[in-house]
Amino acid sequence: MLDIRRISNSRWWHKKKSWKLLAIFLFLVFVRISKGSIYKDFYFFISKPFWPGKFQKEIILNSIDQEYLMKFNLLEKDNLRLREYLSLQQSSNGDAISAKVISRKTGSWWRQIILNKGSKDGVEIGSTVIGPGGLLGRVKSTSMFTSSVKLLTSPESKVGIWVDRLQINGLLVGTGNDSPILILYSKDIDIKVGDFISSSPASTLLPPNIPIGIVQSLNEPLKAKKTAKISLLAKPQVIDWVQILNVKI
Amino acid sequence: MNKFFTKKLPIIFFIFIPIIFLWHPNWIGFFGAQPYWPLFWLLPWSMINGSISGIIFGFFLGIILDSVTIDSSFSQIPGLILCGVWFGKIKIHSDVLVGHFRYGLICSLGSFLCGSLYFSQILFRNFSDSTFLLFISSFQNILAEVFLTGFFAPLFCSQFLRLFKFSREKSIIINLLKK
Repeated sequence: MLDIRRISNSRWWHKKKSWKLLAIFLFLVFVRISKGSIYKDFYFFISKPFWPGKFQKEIILNSIDQEYLMKFNLLEKDNLRLREYLSLQQSSNGDAISAKVISRKTGSWWRQIILNKGSKDGVEIGSTVIGPGGLLGRVKSTSMFTSSVKLLTSPESKVGIWVDRLQINGLLVGTGNDSPILILYSKDIDIKVGDFISSSPASTLLPPNIPIGIVQSLNEPLKAKKTAKISLLAKPQVIDWVQILNVKI
Repeated sequence: MNKFFTKKLPIIFFIFIPIIFLWHPNWIGFFGAQPYWPLFWLLPWSMINGSISGIIFGFFLGIILDSVTIDSSFSQIPGLILCGVWFGKIKIHSDVLVGHFRYGLICSLGSFLCGSLYFSQILFRNFSDSTFLLFISSFQNILAEVFLTGFFAPLFCSQFLRLFKFSREKSIIINLLKK
């Protein structure tokens, strides 16, 4: 009798520790499935007292000046095109949500920012996020109170761009540092340092004509490609406020 | 309540790892990189509880950190599991000073392992002619992270090890008193 009890006590399901581990595992699976929304919401509440105040104003004002100048040029060209074609596709419904940056991972591999507006405020996955200077990235996931934005510098980021001077499309690929790489699928394109790039009118992910950056340096051509390093206009390292555009493209 | 917190001290710190990971304080950054925070917890935990526990909690840490980062194509789980196994095989050194330097070295190597595994996943997924463009920035990321992790490890790991040992001893005493 005693032996039977001993054997039955040694089964894993009779051990409290096994159940505890199983409970932790199930909880973590839940966290994984919900894409860490519990953690992000918890972080939302505990980081509230430390949210950004009014600093780094000069850098931001500088970026805003640059942004306005470039936007003005783009609008003027758009206007001419409008006159020519009489109609343009509707790119924005002016429905922007202002949000604060509550977490910032702008170094190393994980390049993301977390905003204090989530699904409760109407933020949708895939929305475009812009800051002073221009495009920052796209919303990758949302929780009730927060939304995570994949930055253009993330190794996972790939967006279609438009080189304004040459009137051609290209691909902007994040490389895990502050300067993403522009890939143009032709060797003979005469791209120059200082060329301005914006979001592509042909893109199905982003609204057109959002300023992105300036060509910083050119790399050696590779087979049928030309690549260049891009200096982004919007600096995610210092931006404290952003706008989320829920745009139907 | 006090007894509960004393007993569960390692788990409480475990819960706060993703918070620090999200916090990403820039003032201790180096080339934009941060120390690899989970290793500071995983090293003392595995040294005290062994490799099996290291694997389990390395896996748990990986799940939770993958959840809070949005790069869904890449995972931190392989690196953390390997570190958990390795850290579990390391014995606590009797000389405190040597122990401190060992934490730095071990965490640096662990961070290099995790960073390299993560980078290899990025390379594998984005393999193309322009892959080499990723190399320079990635090596910079790995080296900056290795340096910072090694630099801060003696401070954090020795404190965590002391706290976890204290917590373990207390929980044994509390269990004995209960019996």
